[in-house]
Amino acid sequence: MRLTVNGLERELSAPPLETLLNALRDELGITSPKAGCQQGGCGACTVLVDGEPRRSCLTPVVAVDGAAVTTVEALGEPGKLSPVQAAFYEQYGLQCGYCTPGFVLATTALLERNPSPSRDEILQELRGHMCRCTGYVKIVAAVEAAARGEVSDAARHAGATGPSREEPEVLVPGSPA
Amino acid sequence: MKAVGARLPRYDGVGHVTGRTRFVDDVRIPGTLWAKALRSPHPHAGITHLDTSKAEQHPGVHAVITHEDVPRNVYGHLEGLGVPADEPLLAEDDVRYKGQPIAVVAAEDEATALEAVDLIEIEFEEREPLLDIRKAFDPDSRPFHQWGAAFPHFGPYTSRRIRKGDVEGAFERADTIVQGVYRPQAIEQLPIEPQVGLSVPEPDGRLTIYSCTQAMYFSMGVVAAHLEWPLNKLKFVGGTVGGGFGGKVDTATETITALLALKSNRPVKWRWTREEEFLCSSTRAPWHMEIADAVTADGWLLGRKMITLHDAGAYTRFSSYGVTKHSFHHTGAYTIPNLRFDGYVVYTNRSPTSAMRGFGVTSVSYAAEIQMNRIAEVLGLDPLELRLKNANRIGDLTANRVRLSDPSTVPVVLAAADRIGYDLSPEYRQMTNEPRSGELLPEHLLASVALDGPKSDGKGA
Repeated sequence: MRLTVNGLERELSAPPLETLLNALRDELGITSPKAGCQQGGCGACTVLVDGEPRRSCLTPVVAVDGAAVTTVEALGEPGKLSPVQAAFYEQYGLQCGYCTPGFVLATTALLERNPSPSRDEILQELRGHMCRCTGYVKIVAAVEAAARGEVSDAARHAGATGPSREEPEVLVPGSPA
Repeated sequence: MKAVGARLPRYDGVGHVTGRTRFVDDVRIPGTLWAKALRSPHPHAGITHLDTSKAEQHPGVHAVITHEDVPRNVYGHLEGLGVPADEPLLAEDDVRYKGQPIAVVAAEDEATALEAVDLIEIEFEEREPLLDIRKAFDPDSRPFHQWGAAFPHFGPYTSRRIRKGDVEGAFERADTIVQGVYRPQAIEQLPIEPQVGLSVPEPDGRLTIYSCTQAMYFSMGVVAAHLEWPLNKLKFVGGTVGGGFGGKVDTATETITALLALKSNRPVKWRWTREEEFLCSSTRAPWHMEIADAVTADGWLLGRKMITLHDAGAYTRFSSYGVTKHSFHHTGAYTIPNLRFDGYVVYTNRSPTSAMRGFGVTSVSYAAEIQMNRIAEVLGLDPLELRLKNANRIGDLTANRVRLSDPSTVPVVLAAADRIGYDLSPEYRQMTNEPRSGELLPEHLLASVALDGPKSDGKGA
């Protein structure tokens, strides 16, 4: 199987019915998708397949042969957060962090499709994602802030180390960052 | 105090939103084996036959452990506080809850480990389970626990007892007795990160243990006790917890992976499935609380009798500690001068119960508040004014005779009334938590306040 993962073409040796979650985590070492329930119930394993959120724990790799897979590692990195990442960071839309990659990816896909979602549309889109810490209020606030573009420069550059770079450079080819 | 009230960025937020935070499951050590457990399919049974030889010989299996491999199999979570131990790490002669671990396999991968678990030969002699705490003290109920129906180590007693004032006198003087039974049920803590641990044997003979525990030093002590090792041979790496809510106070995976790592001389990871998390991990306890209150027609609480049954599940873990906290709070945020309380830690054939967000206290707070509403309803009084009247005030003595120096009941009730637009009479709206005097110091409370006693010394009066 050949996949484009975060902009890089990768060949997988996993058997066809191996889950995309295990292939990403164990073969490619991409650990942001989490094995929360492995039953499609919690949303912690969410990745984008050709731009759409998918449960990687229920997706056999053969079903995504040739597709483009995006994980949260490709959206942005410390010092160069994507607007959605920065909004979750700035609005405290996270606590323990285990569900966060799934929420960030689902939100990214939502805003791609619908740049100004209503509150109901946000709740509808994120209903398959479980968060046990926040009570969801601040997650919804983060999505609304991202949609309105209310994200500070400080948050976009949070986590930067070393000399600051004037020109953001795209380190992962194909990354939306 | 610069941080108080300030909007500070989360120190771990950037790692979380970029997927860089490394949880235990994300640690990659080459050569790591997978662990899988044989768990009891029965809530209560004797083990009549156990043979792991076929599993040991299965290709890809590196180690199988049973209770015989544990240097010290029985260790109690409260042993450091002088409470004797009752729970085996791996079952010996019997199993006492569905999901109790009996043997654990370490193999090259998850599928091989599961195959090996299926090859373990085991036979049970099923026994009648006790699943309802209310039946534990029935004359024909046979306790399965070596200590009997209930935890017997509250000093010389089998219950946490509080005796304060003259409770029988209060019930004789009362205009009305108001009774209530309250039964909050078990709750799974349900962190999104399931129980997971990774133990790595190091060339210097030590073990590095990656742990999702909420209680690093406590877990370290538990592992060291089971292994009969000094603490300085253990290196714990933790502090990154994918949600805990109390469910990661018990030491779930660390000791087992440590034993498997030592036996196989390979790194070993054990990650529970969501099903194991629900069926086998500790939950918040179900409780059974019975309250009878002696009250006057004008709304004074003269006395309370209370019996609590705390469902410990099959073993003690932190239950006696939870019931002790529960007993201290059994009057709620109110001052009741005459008390008789008995709290029992009852054993049932359910998965052991343990910590969850203020355990011991949340159950009794729920019961005490609903009971206040019930009293108000019976007496035809305003439920908030009933609370303000009986509220804790400076100088009051709690159930366990702590002298209160700054109780918050009055300001909290007033603030709540304000926020919901509740119409309180002026007499109540002006109340404070200042020491009792006048109408707020009726005769029945004279013995229960320490107006002239020592000022708050932190030790009670």
